[in-house]
Amino acid sequence: MAQAPISTHLPPDTKPTKASIAYGHRALPKLNEELRSEDLTTRQKALMALCDLMHDPEYVYQAIDIGCLESLKALLKDINDLVRIKATEVLYIMAIHTMGRDGLLKHDIIRALSFLLNDANPICRENLHKVYKLLALLPSGAQGILNSGLIPSLVWKLQKEQGAIQELILDTLASCLRVDATEALGSRVVPFLKQQLLSGSHSIRAKAACTLMAVSIPWQGKKQVWQYGVIPILVQLLKDDVDEVQANAAGALMFATVTTEGKYAALEAEAISPLLDLLCSPTNKVRLNATKALTMLAEAPEGRRALQSHVHTFRALEKEASEATMRRVAQIAIRVIEGKP
Amino acid sequence: MASLLTDRTSRAVNTYTYTSRPRALPCQRRRYRDNFLQPEEEPMRYGNIMYDRRVIRGNTYALQTGQLPGQPDPLELQRQQQAKRRALARKRAQEQLRPRTPEPVEGRKHMDVQTELYLEEIADRIIEVDMECQTDAFLDRPSTPLFIPAKTGKDVDTQILEGELFNFDLEVKPMLDVLVGKTIEQSLLEVMEEEELANLQAMQYAYEEIQNIELAEVQRLEEQERRHREEKERRKHQQWEIVNKHKETSQKIAARAFAQRYLADLLPSVFSSLRDSGYFYDPIERDIEIGFLPWLMNEVEKTMEYSMVGRTVLDMLIREVVEKRLSMYENKEDKHQSLRPEDEHGGPGAMRDQPVSYDFQEQSLSHTQRPLLDRDDLPRMSYDGRPSQERKYMEEGELLGQSEETAIRKSLGKEELQ
Repeated sequence: MAQAPISTHLPPDTKPTKASIAYGHRALPKLNEELRSEDLTTRQKALMALCDLMHDPEYVYQAIDIGCLESLKALLKDINDLVRIKATEVLYIMAIHTMGRDGLLKHDIIRALSFLLNDANPICRENLHKVYKLLALLPSGAQGILNSGLIPSLVWKLQKEQGAIQELILDTLASCLRVDATEALGSRVVPFLKQQLLSGSHSIRAKAACTLMAVSIPWQGKKQVWQYGVIPILVQLLKDDVDEVQANAAGALMFATVTTEGKYAALEAEAISPLLDLLCSPTNKVRLNATKALTMLAEAPEGRRALQSHVHTFRALEKEASEATMRRVAQIAIRVIEGKP
Repeated sequence: MASLLTDRTSRAVNTYTYTSRPRALPCQRRRYRDNFLQPEEEPMRYGNIMYDRRVIRGNTYALQTGQLPGQPDPLELQRQQQAKRRALARKRAQEQLRPRTPEPVEGRKHMDVQTELYLEEIADRIIEVDMECQTDAFLDRPSTPLFIPAKTGKDVDTQILEGELFNFDLEVKPMLDVLVGKTIEQSLLEVMEEEELANLQAMQYAYEEIQNIELAEVQRLEEQERRHREEKERRKHQQWEIVNKHKETSQKIAARAFAQRYLADLLPSVFSSLRDSGYFYDPIERDIEIGFLPWLMNEVEKTMEYSMVGRTVLDMLIREVVEKRLSMYENKEDKHQSLRPEDEHGGPGAMRDQPVSYDFQEQSLSHTQRPLLDRDDLPRMSYDGRPSQERKYMEEGELLGQSEETAIRKSLGKEELQ
């Protein structure tokens, strides 16, 4: 039975692995001090508590304000694995919020994290790549990653790493390459991506195709894509089972066939029939990209001839299109097919 | 009081019970007592409701509300104030009438002196001790003592042991509420966060799609533009080249026509000039001219030279002879006759030698001229025809030459002999 008198024992510690969080606005300063302590257990417990707190954006703001990032940077070089894993996890959670990303960029976390690229612990590396992926979504973040010269090492890591980390690196690269792809093209990213396109996992295929799409936006990229013979593989991927893979492959084709050589390579690889099949796909992205790719191919005379018999499909698409983009794209396709040069 | 009344009535008649029985209310003339000497109990005066100021009669809309029951009404207040003033005045009057000690003589002062056994300190200040006693406000009489009814019934006691009052379900409910609530709250937060992230990502994807499509469109148009421009450039270039070639060809044609015309006259003139300068020749003629005729001329020259030499020699001979003859004549006039038969000898001998030399000449001629003669006979005939005179001359020359030679030989012989 619950007794009225107050017990002399302290209440049972339900979470021994976490530091107790002080009340109100004293929480973060105290945790910050604990992060700098000499004792390993204190540091670990403080990091666990910090992980929980960082889900709240207000705490993120306060943390950056009082300089938690400096202590976190020091902790990244710690010998203990758990400390490093948790420190990178905290940074990942902070990177989810916008002001967290801003703070990370301002305090030059990218460079501090780059020392951990060769870390022995895979979880640590995974968190590291998650941080990079979220940072790369921001244009200034992508610029920061490019400026710190990490692209060649990331491309190199793409080969060596496996599984989930590979997917994260692919995402990071896709976002960074949209900003500026010259460095990556110089470090032979296209052959690596070509290998990934044939991988077993569908998510890796999808992401590799997405990265290829980003790579083939600049002219140099288009040239390399044609040179390394990636276009036939992309055409093959159009018949893949997964929607995402189809959409990204169609997108990559759409960009790669802007150049004349790309167009003819695609026509040789018989891209028209799979693309026409994709027009009936349920996913919007697939239809958009396929229509665009067919528009590109219709500019070549052979393509135009082949597609003139299929103009009715485009008209049907235009009529039943729910959004303006699809309608516009279908209209452009019809115009290109029927227009005279 | 109300409860007592109810008890009585309940005993008498039980048709109707009141919580509070209707009764006539006493009117409360004074709220506060004027002085403490007033007896507590006064004969109860019951008020007439008809003449009670508290009961509102007539219109209820423009009436002033009376005083709150706690507040004294102003009439009472005024009366109290008057009474107070009267009391004060009475006191003052009494003070003045009281006998006092006469004033002190000039130069002296009254002084209070204590005559008791023990002196007391008389201070100006009276030692005051504050004592308070508070009674309940507005309480006229003490409250009735607690009514404890007589004990009836049976006494029963019970002992509650430890742990019996504890109903787990009830006790656990608030804790469970908190636990479950917090868990659900936390999970809701997380789910919301993830949902937010998923929404953001979905929006980002949609935006990315549109961006990609737009970019592709832009690039396609750029490429188209570039191709058109290049095509235009190429066609312009082609056209320019065509025009150039056209010009060139027309120039060439004009030049050729002009040159043709210019050269049309040139050819016959060239040919004629060439022919005039002897570039067209009959090879045999040329050969003859180059080869044969110089040789012929050489031979002719030689022959002529021989004849000249012969003549000269003959002249010399003649001279010598003549000189000798002259000398001989001068010396001996009879030798003149012996010289004449020598001339005759010389003549037939020369005649004999002549066909020999002629043969010789012919042989030599045939030797040198055989290839030529072999080729055609006609020129030989002409050759025979033309230089026949020359040959005769030559023959004569030869003849003379031979004769001179023989003469020389003979003379030499003679000289040797001599």
